[in-house]
Amino acid sequence: MAAPTPTPPTSPARRLLGLGPVTPGSAVWYYRRNWLGMVAACIVGAFVIAAIFAPWLTPYAEQGRGVPDLPQRLKGPNGSHWMGTDELGRDVLARVLFGARTALLVAIGVVVLAVVVGVLVGAIAGYFGGWVDEILMRITDTFLAFPPLLLAVIVAAALGASLQNTIVAIAVSWWPWYARQIRAQVLSLRERSYVKAVQAIGVPSHKIIRQHIIPNAMAPVWVQATADLGASILTAAGLSFVGLGPRPPTPDWGVMIADGRQFVLSGQWWIAVFAGAAITILALAFNLCGDVIRDVADPKTRGDQ
Amino acid sequence: MRYLLRRAGTSLVVILGVVTITFVVSRVVPSDPASLYAGPRARPAQVEQVRQDLKLDDPVLTQYVSYLGDLTRGDLGISFATRRPILGDLRSFLPATLELALLATALSMAIGIPLGVLASSRRGKPKDSVVRLFAVTSVSVPVFWSALILQLFFASKLGWLPLSGRTSSNVEFGEPTGFFVIDSILSGSPSNVWDVVRHLALPVTVMAAYPTGLTVRLIRGSMLEVLGEPYIEAARVGQIPERTILYQLALKNALAPALTILGLTFAYSVSSAFLVEAVFNWPGLGKYLTDAIVRVDFPVITAATLVITVIYVVVNLALDLVHAKIDPRVELS
Amino acid sequence: MKRFRLIAVLVALTFAAAACGSSDTADGDAGETGGAATDGSFVYAFPFAITDLDPASAFSSENVVLQNVYESLTTFNPPGSAELLSPSLAESWTSNDDATEWTFTLREGVTFHDGTPLNAEAVRASLQRTIDLDLGAAFILLPIESMDVVDDLTITFTLGYPAPLDIVMSSNYGASIMSIDGSTQDAAWFNEGNDAGTGPYTISAFSPNEGTKLSRYDDYWGGWADGQFSEIDIQLVEDPVLAEQMIRAGDADATNNLPFDSYAALAEEESLSVVKGESMQNLFGLLNHERLSPEVREALVLSFPYDEVAENLYGGEATRAQGIIPQAVWGSSTDLDLPETDLDAAAKLLADAGTTDLSVTYSFDAGTTEQQQIGEVWKANLATIGIDLVLEPLTFDARWELAQADPANAQDIFTLFWFPTFVTPYDFMFSLFRSEEAPFFNLGYYSNPAFDDLIDEADALSGTDREAAIELFQQAGQTLIDDNSAVFMLDVPNVNVVQSNVEGYTPNPAYAGVIRFHELSRNE
Repeated sequence: MAAPTPTPPTSPARRLLGLGPVTPGSAVWYYRRNWLGMVAACIVGAFVIAAIFAPWLTPYAEQGRGVPDLPQRLKGPNGSHWMGTDELGRDVLARVLFGARTALLVAIGVVVLAVVVGVLVGAIAGYFGGWVDEILMRITDTFLAFPPLLLAVIVAAALGASLQNTIVAIAVSWWPWYARQIRAQVLSLRERSYVKAVQAIGVPSHKIIRQHIIPNAMAPVWVQATADLGASILTAAGLSFVGLGPRPPTPDWGVMIADGRQFVLSGQWWIAVFAGAAITILALAFNLCGDVIRDVADPKTRGDQ
Repeated sequence: MRYLLRRAGTSLVVILGVVTITFVVSRVVPSDPASLYAGPRARPAQVEQVRQDLKLDDPVLTQYVSYLGDLTRGDLGISFATRRPILGDLRSFLPATLELALLATALSMAIGIPLGVLASSRRGKPKDSVVRLFAVTSVSVPVFWSALILQLFFASKLGWLPLSGRTSSNVEFGEPTGFFVIDSILSGSPSNVWDVVRHLALPVTVMAAYPTGLTVRLIRGSMLEVLGEPYIEAARVGQIPERTILYQLALKNALAPALTILGLTFAYSVSSAFLVEAVFNWPGLGKYLTDAIVRVDFPVITAATLVITVIYVVVNLALDLVHAKIDPRVELS
Repeated sequence: MKRFRLIAVLVALTFAAAACGSSDTADGDAGETGGAATDGSFVYAFPFAITDLDPASAFSSENVVLQNVYESLTTFNPPGSAELLSPSLAESWTSNDDATEWTFTLREGVTFHDGTPLNAEAVRASLQRTIDLDLGAAFILLPIESMDVVDDLTITFTLGYPAPLDIVMSSNYGASIMSIDGSTQDAAWFNEGNDAGTGPYTISAFSPNEGTKLSRYDDYWGGWADGQFSEIDIQLVEDPVLAEQMIRAGDADATNNLPFDSYAALAEEESLSVVKGESMQNLFGLLNHERLSPEVREALVLSFPYDEVAENLYGGEATRAQGIIPQAVWGSSTDLDLPETDLDAAAKLLADAGTTDLSVTYSFDAGTTEQQQIGEVWKANLATIGIDLVLEPLTFDARWELAQADPANAQDIFTLFWFPTFVTPYDFMFSLFRSEEAPFFNLGYYSNPAFDDLIDEADALSGTDREAAIELFQQAGQTLIDDNSAVFMLDVPNVNVVQSNVEGYTPNPAYAGVIRFHELSRNE
């Protein structure tokens, strides 16, 4: 006697993206029902918008990019500088807004680079098996043997401080996680009948991997990758803190905390506090999203909220 | 037994790989170790002499082979910056870091396991949300930031706890083990123990934050899995008290697969040592390594990385073996 | 059952830890925090690692330790003193008219920490060891041709060319006197924490990564009075924020090299005194003569924000540099003809030369806030005249190495902070601008034979006719400015923060960063 579930209306955004209505029981449907997840997603959205529109959101766009204004240095929050000014007189709000660009660039850059490398290695190892698998997986294990952050720190130290090097350094230490994950997926996919079928009609391996294996193995990797965005921001901030971050005057939250820390004791708390808050809030939002997505993707832990 | 041999074998291969990677990375560092070793304003001829003494002009492969040879003899080389044997330095730095990391691991388990169980038993309820928010927050705050806040509050403002270091400068005792908690107890003076514990409080708390969040999440996940199994349902029907169900029936089974978190927690503690030790001026391996990076002292970079990684590999190996012992299914996979 | 035991162990472990954890934070009495003890010990939170305790080769922050453990024949007085020098291990000295022969008479009754007496042979052996090793600051002894022990307390030096040996012997580095036994030891012996000096303190513990502890030497010739410190703890504290917290909390008695912006707030604390020395240190940017055309060098000189930087950075404590010689060094001048910031003129120079879209690299010490801030301000100025300044932070060792390798492919601007080895204009001009076959510290690769002759002549005169020497040094200083050899940025004072209950501290810029602990006492 249950009433028929009404079909939910499709939101304009979803229609724009060519997506159908959200069906009850789908992952998106579950995600939407988690208020924490929704709040987190909104926060991430706000940061993305802030990053994209940073030059139009502040009258101090030049300062956000790094141009100093010495006479205004170290002024507390006030009407014209809502978050105060930094040690070179730049508007802290503008630096935080432009810093969102750096943070998101690093987060996405690291994850994409690591996923690309990890997926390639993992797919090849899993598909071919045998000695190829053995060699690739021992290499993967070797990279995994380094405690997190340690490898990133020494690679960044060897490459020298810059934004690109930060991304490379963190990605170098992250790809093995994805490689392992995709390999496990591929190992089971390899035995599926449709793969056997295309193998039988003589489709070349690289085509099979590209067209049949990778697309079907990606779902858990994307879940993991989303969950890793927050960690990537924190790792980058850690590198900045030990002096291995992007070069000045690149706006960067980690550098802002490291530089701003020294003013806190003299009562000029605003640089470090606002930059620290930005990192914490964005990392928190990313981690919450990741947490909820992971739950949603795994039916066993799906929370009925 | 076969499993043990195989695991030990792959661990050896991994360690050899780690040695190779660190060796390669350290040779990429843009600096001249000879001029560092020869000291400031050394004349070019002296730098040349050092270059020959240290065999830096040999082909890289030769250097690599002789480096491996030294390692098998337990010789980690000498620091270019301080000209001291690295092995001697490690004797005091390694226990300092291990002491922090072990206590942080213990603290994060002590907080994380009960919270994880609580969250799983109240799945979807407000308590669950609060615990999850706590867990996610603790993995989202940069450690160097929380360290600063805690220092400002508990040390600078309230004066309850010391700012930095392992002991007060007027406290001295013998250091047979290098673990100050043990050493201070051996010294027989309660005031020494108290001094050591007070110095540990802030860095251990800061270091434990990230692994605590991790533990909560893993325990919650693995508890939810176990709680869904039929024997728990049966126990519920059988009116066994909820406490007993959670902590004895479920947690027992949820912990076994979650054993890996012990290794992971430890790993996160050790790697956050870079940041934590710098802020608390803690004379440990992390600070030793960051100092070496700043001074481009590559024998130290290589040796410290190697030691940290080997510890990590050994801890993981040990945990895997324990896991295999208590859970025979592992052997089959 | 096994599994259960494991859990029991885990639980026990967690509870033990929880118990520790809670007792850590729950209880706390404010009385116990003071690390700076009242029992005659002194804690110096010092930011730089000390890695070499051999006085013959040490050439960096080691002077903080070594100047308290070893002594030299003479001491350079703080600026404003009536005399340039004070006697130290030498009681008196004389030279011939052309400053090529010097005789020093030693103090009687001085003993080394190993109990042996100070005598002329020990002086000769110490200096000979430094000359033979030829490391660190050994170059200060280059003029010495021979040393003759006249009697137990008299030693005569014969020089190859005229030089102010009395000033040389006050050097911050390379002039320490050690016992005869010490002179036979190698670097390893010193770096195990042994010493062989005559100073008021002896090294009791040494770790390059943690710090150095000193204990008083009871038989010090200068004697001991009540209230002086008997134990000194020089703690390596690299993080300036931590050092500032320590000095504020009373965990340290003194600290050095905090960010300049914090001094104003610290000066307001009643329990602290912020002590500024006069400046013998300066900051400048050496311009690469192999890569930059004369027009570009001039444009760089004209685009530097001299006054803006002096007024706003370094907490307003730094002053605009008047050429290469810092104001507190003898031979400095305020009358040199200096360039002024003029962006229009700089732009016109570049336009006339047809230079556009130029990228210039600025090499500076990673982690030094002020050098970075200067780079960022300069970058903004240069952007307006079409030059992109690329900031390159590296450790000093790394960038020094790169600068020495291949000038044509090296940095364009080498930012350098310099303080004198011993106090003479020659140290600045010789080290930084005299022609070099292979680059050493002349990292702008400047070469001007007329300038070389001028400063050599001035140096030879400084032992006999200081007035004439000063005139030549000033002439040489103007040449460096006119040639756009470098951007002379700032004279930077050395600042120490000391607890107000510590008495007797007078800064001496000739020994930057050094605190002479024997001069101090605590006023309870």
